[in-house]
Parts: sequence; structure tokens; C-alpha cells
Amino acid sequence: MTSLRYSLAALALIGATHSAVAADNLDIIVPFAAGGATDIVARSFEPIFSQQLGVTSVVRNVAGASATVGTAEVANSEGNPNIIGYEPAGALSIQPSLKKLPYGSDSFTYICRTVSNPMFLMVSKSSDIESFKQLVEESQEYPFLYGSSGPGTLPHLAMAALTVNSDLKAEHVPYSGSGPAMNALAGNEIQIMADTETILENYDLRPLAVFADHRVEGYPDVPTMQELGLPALDFAVWQGVVAPKGISEERTQQYAEACKATVESDKFKAFADKAKADIAYLGPEDFEAFVQKRFAANKQVLKDAGLTP
Amino acid sequence: MDMILAAMGDAFTWQALLAIVIGTWAGIVIGGLPGLGSVVGLTIFLPFTFGMDVITSMALLIGVYCGSVYGGSITAILINTPGTPQSAATTFDGYPMTQQGRVDEALGWATFASFFGGVLSCVLLIFCAPQLAKFAVNFGSIEVFALVCLAMLCIVGISRGSLLKGLVCGMMGFFFSMVGSDPITGADRFTFGSYALSSGLDLIPVVVGAFALSEVFIRFSARDEEAAAIPEARLRFPSLREIGRRLIELVRGSFIGSFVGALPGTGAAAAAFISYASAQKLSPRRANLGKGEPDGIIASESSNNAVTGSAFIPTLALGIPGDVVTAMMMGAMVIHGITPGVRLMVDQAQTVYALFVVLIIVNVAMLILSKPSIGLFRYLFKMPLGFVMGGIVMFSFIGAVSVRGNPLDLVVAALTGILAYVLRRGGYPLAPLVIGMVLGPALESSLRRGLLISRGDFLSFFTHSGIATTLFVLIGLFLIWTAVAGVLDWRSRMAACRQPVPSSSSRA
Repeated sequence: MTSLRYSLAALALIGATHSAVAADNLDIIVPFAAGGATDIVARSFEPIFSQQLGVTSVVRNVAGASATVGTAEVANSEGNPNIIGYEPAGALSIQPSLKKLPYGSDSFTYICRTVSNPMFLMVSKSSDIESFKQLVEESQEYPFLYGSSGPGTLPHLAMAALTVNSDLKAEHVPYSGSGPAMNALAGNEIQIMADTETILENYDLRPLAVFADHRVEGYPDVPTMQELGLPALDFAVWQGVVAPKGISEERTQQYAEACKATVESDKFKAFADKAKADIAYLGPEDFEAFVQKRFAANKQVLKDAGLTP
Repeated sequence: MDMILAAMGDAFTWQALLAIVIGTWAGIVIGGLPGLGSVVGLTIFLPFTFGMDVITSMALLIGVYCGSVYGGSITAILINTPGTPQSAATTFDGYPMTQQGRVDEALGWATFASFFGGVLSCVLLIFCAPQLAKFAVNFGSIEVFALVCLAMLCIVGISRGSLLKGLVCGMMGFFFSMVGSDPITGADRFTFGSYALSSGLDLIPVVVGAFALSEVFIRFSARDEEAAAIPEARLRFPSLREIGRRLIELVRGSFIGSFVGALPGTGAAAAAFISYASAQKLSPRRANLGKGEPDGIIASESSNNAVTGSAFIPTLALGIPGDVVTAMMMGAMVIHGITPGVRLMVDQAQTVYALFVVLIIVNVAMLILSKPSIGLFRYLFKMPLGFVMGGIVMFSFIGAVSVRGNPLDLVVAALTGILAYVLRRGGYPLAPLVIGMVLGPALESSLRRGLLISRGDFLSFFTHSGIATTLFVLIGLFLIWTAVAGVLDWRSRMAACRQPVPSSSSRA
């Protein structure tokens, strides 16, 4: 019995020493294939971040299953101070409620939120719908179809929440990404889509409302959901950095400081400006609280919309 | 005009030309190695582009992309192992030609057809991009469903010997494509509770197992050094007269590729199968298809390289990437501050024109570099067979795992290899398996999306639009044609049996 206890203690010690050693190499997991929207931001973030941290880092694309495969790899590396994940909103705040995953929203050491863009409710510019009120009225006779970049993605959830909380009648048609959905919108196969400013600006789309608690700069005429007499619907596409559980407090601080310095650097700001990503830094505690809040809110939406029991 | 000259100036810098040469050559070699395909090639080169200017980085990436689509045909012809899934249809006629000792001719046709398809699609991209983009936009889920059904019929044509065996393999491929997340509801299917399987089976590991690994197993089990030896790769371009004779095949393949490439979510592999299916019905030499007929190589290679140009149509005209590869290119553009979208052609006209020039130079570079690249493969395949086969196994596994970094893909490749070996021993054709895997997801999601749009009314598919109706009529004609030809064939065989001297022209 004592020998068992000793070996357990020894194991714990090995574990502890392992977790204390921060090597010169850092693995940055991006849970999407190379070249995607998240990957591009991560690859612009990575060189500045690793310079701040004084390490050599490698971006590793581990794609699949709505970004949960790569995210699971970060969660499963408990105690490893040399791996972080550059994560999209969905993998942290939606997927754990949708299906059985090897991780939950509390399986990480939260480091920072980097960017966040509010979502807009949009219709094609060629349609004659000018306001949310008109959209609701026209949907009464024959329900509209709304697209999304896939089942259980943010565009899907935002629209599901909207149809539950308003009189809008619309049904969901998922596509394999924003691109095909935009093609369908241009061909009038679907009529409504919820997505970010990047999508709004790049295609011929008309914003009807914004899923945020205040009007967005550059769109003074686009009302918020509350102004339309609906409950506060807050949906944004954000990204952030997480590390596995069990890393030292010191390491967390190092990561957080490097992250803050990165998003405040001129180089990253210039990139974010070009890519239309709004920098929205949150430190470790704030970011964790934010994710937990979004996780609970999304869980409720999924339940209300009948997507989960 | 000034704009075009300025664009030429942008494209004809030494940096851009060097990038084209390096990119194209690397692309051909990467494409030729089984397992390593377009996506892996682009992933390798993407980080290098961050420090370059926008034209040079596009030149490098386009070179890798076009080169890899062509390169896949080299190993498809030489060792019956398509280097990339896009070249799977090239094996149907390419490898029989190699077995008949016509390897130089086969490689020549593959190279020329790739060049022809690439250039023709560039021309279409330059002159008809807005019109084609508009047409592609009208190609909704129901039209895509009809098109994919038409392409699926290609299984009938390539299952020589036994239609039943072909269908068994096709359904198996279709089933493989269904493992993982449901495209409409997001629920897990056929994962048996295993989290690793929830990301589904990727195409590359399955293709690598079905073609490359099973080929290695077959060659080792044959224990016949003569038969297993790889012929020396040489290249002989077709003469102008030969090209003239098959010009219509080249043009048809290129147009089909250009058109399919402009549709979002289809890609070069699907284009090659659709083009091959059309050659089976329309080529004047269709009776020889599958037995070493250059028309088969032309159908496959002209169409898959035509996709490389036309995949830019939705990207440039609408900002919608047509496939994974153009999505990566769009990412590279964003890094350099160019945001693709509806106004790209207006706001960044000079860059877009320079891109067109680059595409054409890449295709010319591909034609010039084909000879040294094939020379490299000739040198590689001269090594003892054990090394060559060992190398193929190694690259197959590297390719399988590097697509998305999932170790499960190694297991998938190995198991598919064993399954494919057993199937080939039983006389089952493997191409339908890949067709099912390539077209299955498009077929399923377009059908289910179409049903959502039509509110569950399948009959309204047939009258949804002029395009859909036309495609469904074509499917009907194809089925009647096949049935009638089958009956005629059966009757003439019956007649031949009754006669004491069998007629040699009993095959329809």
C-alpha cells in the first residue's frame, strides 16, 4: 500500500515537473483546414505571438467535425505548457451542447479573446424587403428559407433564436460553408442569412438588423434587436486562445501578456483592419466568464429551437 | 488596354516567373506522388507566400495547383495509381495503354489534354466569367442533384464485366461518404459511438488505400517480376493530325470541366467523372473506352485541368470559392489585403488581369516542364521495385495523414487498402467506389436541401427549372439508351449462340 502511495506521489511529481517545463517550441492548433477564415487570422497572429513569448511556434491544422477534433486535441493535452489552440466560437460555446465530445466548456485554461464581430440579419439587395417589419409580414403567407454555413453554426443559432423570439416564419437550409450559402442567396434559393460584416460587405446584401446590444459603427441606420421590440439577442463571431487545463499560473500569465501585446501591435491591427476583424481583447478571467455565459445562452437557444432535447 | 499591359508587367517580373517555375514543377511532382495532392501541396507552400507580394504568391500557388492536377495523371498512367483523386478517371484508359506498351502516347495525350483544358478554361474565365457566374448562381441544389445523378450513371459505363459488382462498389463508396456528421442535422451517423469517426472518412485516405496500397499488394502477390515491372516513362506528343482527329473530344472535355468548375462545391474529380461519362456516350470510338483509348485520357485530363481556370469564376465574380483550393487562394488574397467579393473585378482590375496572365503562363510552363518531370519519375521508377513500392507506401501514408492531421486516417488508408485488394481479387472494379465517395456527399446534401426547398415535394424537382428538366430528360434518355443497348446486345449474343460459327462483332 505504501509503495503504491509512493509511486503515485512520484507519478504526480513527474506530472508536475512535466507541466512546469516550458520548451522553446509551441504548437498552435487551428481546428480548421489551412486557408480558411480562422486559419488566416491565426497565421497572422502566430508570428507576433511567438515573438512576444520568445519561442518558435508551428501552426498545426487539425480539421474535422465542426472544429471539435482539433479542439479536443488541446483539451486532451492536460498539463502540457507547449500547446495552445486558436479557437472559433462554435467549438467552445455551441458544439459541447450539441453532441457528446471528449471536452466541455470547462476543459480549458482560457487565455484571451482576440477578435469579435457582431452578426447582421441580411437579405439580398435584389429583394424588395427593406425592414425587419416587412420581412415578418411577408413571411406570414409563405415562410422564408434561411441559410447557414452548416448545422449548429452561429448563423444557424442566431436565426433559430430569432424565429423563436419573433413572429418571423423561416426554415433552415444548411450549406457546407458561407460561400455555398451566398451562392444560394444570390440565386434566391434562400432569402435570409445571418453573418458578419465581412460577408455583408463582400456580397450584394442589405442589413436589416444587428444581433448586438448597441448599433454598430459604420451602420448607423441598422437597428438592434431590442430596438425592434425583441428580447436582447446577442450573437457575434469571435475567436480566442485556449490552453489545456493544468498549466501553471505563471505560464497562463505569460500567454495572456503575449496575447495582449499581439492584438495591440500595429502589425496585427493593420491585418485586422484589412480582414475586417474587430479586435476585442479579453483577459483570462473575463474570457472564461464570457465563454461560460455564451455557452449557457447558446444551450438555451438550442433547447428552445428544439435542436437538443 | 493600358490596364492589360500594366498587368502583363506585373506578371512578367522575374520573381513571378521564378515562382511559376518552382510552383508548377513542385506541383507536378507532388501531384504525381500517390497520396500527396493539391491540398497538401498548397498547405506546404502557403506559409512561403506570406512574405511575397500578391502576384508572386498567387503565381506560386496557382503553379502548385495546376501542376498537381496534371501530375496526378503521370502515376495514374504508369502504375495504375492516380496521384490525386482528380486523376482517378485517367487510369481507366491510361493504364491499359501502358500495358499495351503505349505509355509514351498515353503520357503525351494526358499532357496535351491538360494543357488544352487549362488554356481553354483561362480563355473562358477572361471573356465569359460574369455570364458563367450568373449561370452558376442559377444552378441551385435541385439542379446540382440532377447533374450528380447524371454523373453517377458513369458507374454503369465503367463496370465492364459485371454491372452488379460495379454497383456494389459504388454503394460501398456512397456508404463510406455517409460516415460522420449528417450534413443537414449535424447528428453523428455510423460512428458506433467512436468520437474519432465523427469527423467522417476523408476522400484522400480512401483513394490512397483503394488505388495505391492495393496496387502495391497486387504487385507483390503476383510474384511475377516481369508483370510487376514498371515500364520506362517516355513522352511523345500527339501530332497535329492526331489532335485534329480528336479535337472535338478535347473541346468537349474542356467545356465540361470549365462548366463544372464554375459550380461551387463540385471540383475537379467530379468533373473528370462527368466528362468520362459523356465520352462513353458521345465519343465515336466509345466501344474501345476502358481498353486503352486516348479519348478516355482526353476526357479525364482536359476536364480536370479545365477546372483549375474556371474554379476562379465564382471566386472572382462573386467572391465565392468553388472548392477547397480556391478557398485557400482567397485566404492568401486576404492576407495581402485583397478581399474577394462582388466588386473585386472593378476595384482590383489590374490584379485580376495579372492573375489571368499568370494562369496562362502556368499552363505553358506545365507543358514545358512535363518532360523533365516525367524524366524524374522515369529515374525514380528505375530503382529496384521494392524501393519504389516502399516509397509509394510511405508517401501514401504521409499523404493520408497530412490532409487534416487525424491519425485515424492512417487506419482508414490501411483498411481500405486491404479491402480493395480483396475486391480486386474478386473482380470488382474500384473506380465506382471512388465515384460513390466523391459524388455521394453532393448527391445526398443536394437531394435533402432540394427537399427542404420544395417542402418535401420530390415531384416538383422535375419541373423546378428549365436546367433541371433538361438534365432529368438526359438521365431518362441515358437509361433508355443503356437498356435498349443491353437488350440488343443480349439478342445478338443469343443469335450468336444459336449459330454454329460465333460472330466476332457480337459486342455492342
